[in-house]
Amino acid sequence: MSALALAFRNLARHRRRSVLMGAVIAFGFAAFALAGGFIAQSFEGLRESTIRQVGNLQIVDRRAASGTEQATLEFGIPRGESARKLAASDPAVETALPRVEFVGLVTTGGKSIPFFGIGVDPIPEAKATGAEELLVKGRWLTPENPDGILLGTGLASALSVEVGEGVTLVATSPDGSLNAVDAIVIGLADVKFKELNDRYLAAGLPLVERLLQSEGKVSKLVLFLREGMDEAAAAARLKAAFQSGGWPVEVLPWERLGVFYGQVRLLYAGIFGFLGAVLVVIVILAAAIVMTMAVTERTREIGTLRALGTRPSGVRNMFLAEALLLALVGCAAGAVLSLIVMAALNASGIVLPPPPGGTTGFPIHVKAYPLAYAVGVAAMALTALAAAYLPARRAARMNIVEALAHV
Amino acid sequence: MEPEAGGALVEARAVSRSYRLGAAEVPAVRGITLSLRRGEFTALQGPSGSGKTTLLNLFGLLDRPDTGRVLIEGRDVSAWHEEGRSDLRRDRFGFIFQSFNLLPVLTAEENVAYPMGLRGVSRRERTDRARELLAAVGLEGKRAVRPDLLSGGQRQRVAIARALANQPAVVFADEPTASLDSKTAEEILDLMLALNEDRGAAFLFATHDARVVARARRVVTLHDGTIARDTAA
Repeated sequence: MSALALAFRNLARHRRRSVLMGAVIAFGFAAFALAGGFIAQSFEGLRESTIRQVGNLQIVDRRAASGTEQATLEFGIPRGESARKLAASDPAVETALPRVEFVGLVTTGGKSIPFFGIGVDPIPEAKATGAEELLVKGRWLTPENPDGILLGTGLASALSVEVGEGVTLVATSPDGSLNAVDAIVIGLADVKFKELNDRYLAAGLPLVERLLQSEGKVSKLVLFLREGMDEAAAAARLKAAFQSGGWPVEVLPWERLGVFYGQVRLLYAGIFGFLGAVLVVIVILAAAIVMTMAVTERTREIGTLRALGTRPSGVRNMFLAEALLLALVGCAAGAVLSLIVMAALNASGIVLPPPPGGTTGFPIHVKAYPLAYAVGVAAMALTALAAAYLPARRAARMNIVEALAHV
Repeated sequence: MEPEAGGALVEARAVSRSYRLGAAEVPAVRGITLSLRRGEFTALQGPSGSGKTTLLNLFGLLDRPDTGRVLIEGRDVSAWHEEGRSDLRRDRFGFIFQSFNLLPVLTAEENVAYPMGLRGVSRRERTDRARELLAAVGLEGKRAVRPDLLSGGQRQRVAIARALANQPAVVFADEPTASLDSKTAEEILDLMLALNEDRGAAFLFATHDARVVARARRVVTLHDGTIARDTAA
C-alpha cells in the first residue's frame, strides 16, 4: 500500500479531526486566492491606467530626468516634431506623443487661479490614452479649434466658467518673458484626483507654443509600445538613436514614472503580506494541534509500525503524507469555495470607496488568477508540512517499548 | 544472512536493563546471558516484574540494554543505528502482541502484506503470500475484513500470519494468549506450534500461561531479572 493511500485511510478514519483541519486549510486557501485575485487584478488595472497616463516609456532631456528643472521647458527636447518622428520610427513604438508640461495663471478677468497645464497633440493623444473618457462636459481638443482648452472640473468651478466661455492664459516663456493668450473653454474633465482636478488644464500644442514661445520644444515624448515588445530593449535602442541625433536624453520606463502605482503596490503588498502571515499562523496552529493529537492518539500504532520494521523516517513520512494530503484536499475545497464567493461578490454590485486622492469609487470585481491559486496551494502545502514536521518527528523518535505500552 | 552452523540466532550477553520509576531506578533485567537457536519453541516464564517482557524486548531489538550486548546471528547490534535495527526487525523477526496490534485502517490481508511492503516485495507476491498465510491460519474467508470486525482469536491469527510474512528467523510473542478465551488460546497455541514445525521459525514467548509453558520445548524461568532455571523438554 502506498504512503498516500495509507494516509488517506488514516484521514478517513479520523474524520472529525480531518474535517476540522481541512476546513481551516480550505478557508485559508479561499481567503488567499480571493485576496490574491483581487490584489492582482487591482495591480493589473492600476498598471493599465498608469501606462495609459504616462506611456510605456518617456523620453526626456537628461537634465530634466534628474529633476532639477526650475522653469517651464528649461531642459525640454528641441525640434519636437523631428524627435517624435525619430521615436516613431523604432519598430517597437506604436505611438509617440509629444507633450509640453507648463504652469501659469488662468484668468477670467475677475478671478485668477494657478494651473498645471499639459500641451498635447489632440487626436493621437485621445486615441492612445483614451483622454476623451475624462470629459464630463463639452468635447475634446481638435486641431480645427486651436484656441480651445479643457479645464478640470474643480478649476472650472473655482473660476466659475462654463463650456463656451473665454479665459486668458498667462505663463512665463523659457527665456523668462511673460506672455498671455486668449482661449475658449471647450470641455470639462474629471481627472479622478481632486488636487489635480483643481489645477488641470489641457490645450493643443499650437496654443501652448504661442503662449510659451517655445519654438517646437517639448517637455517629453510619451511612447506607447506595441503589444509584447521588450521595454528595456526598446529603451536602449531609443536612447542610442536620440544621442546619435544630437539629443542628450534619458528614456524612462513607466514603473519609474508611475509613483502612485509604486506606492499602491507597496501598500497592497504590505496588506497582502500581513494577511498571508495571519493565514499561515492560523493554519500552522490548527495543523500543529491536529497532528499532535493524531500522534498522541496513535502512539500504540506507531510502536507497532516501528516494531514491524518501519524505519523512523517512514513513520515521519507517514504523518507528513497525511498533512500534505489534507492540505491538497483542503485546497481543492478552498478553490471551490473561492469560486462561489467570487461569483457572489461579482454579482453583488458592491462599490468600493475611491482610492486615496481619488474622486470616484469602483465596483468590486475579483478574477480567478491561476498564479494566486498555484501560490496558495504551495503555501498551504508547505505550511501544513511545516506544522506537521515537529509532531511527525516526535512520532519517528518515540521509544518503541513505551509506545507499545501506551494506553 | 544465515547463522553459522550450530550458532545462536539471538544471543544476550550479560544484559542489564533498568527503568526509572519516579525517583527510583528499578532493575528489570540483571546481567542475563541467554541464547536462542534456530527452530526453538521457548517460553520465558516468571511472575510479574521478573523481566520477561524486558528480555523479550531486548532480544527483539525493541529496546537497548544499559549494559551487556545483544548479538543477532553472531553480530553485535547493541550500538546499531535505529534504521539498521528497523531493517533487521523487518527482515529477521516477527512480533505477536497480547492485544494483537493490527493496523486498524488495513484489512486482514493488507495487515499481513504490510511488512512485505516495507521490504519492497512486489504487490503480486505480497498478495499471494498474504493469502497463503491467511489460509494457513484458517482465515482465508476474512481477507477483506478490517480488524474491528474480527473476533479476538481471529485478530491474533492475523497477527501470527503477519509475524510470518517476511519468513522470519524468530517470532517474539508477548503474552499471545492472555487476551483470549481458553479454547481460542489452545487453538492459537496449536497453530504456532504447527507453524514452528512447518516453517522452522523459532518462537520465543513471554508468558504467564501454563498452557504455553506446558507446550514449550524449552522453558526459561526468570526471577527478579535473573534466570532462575533453563530447562529443555
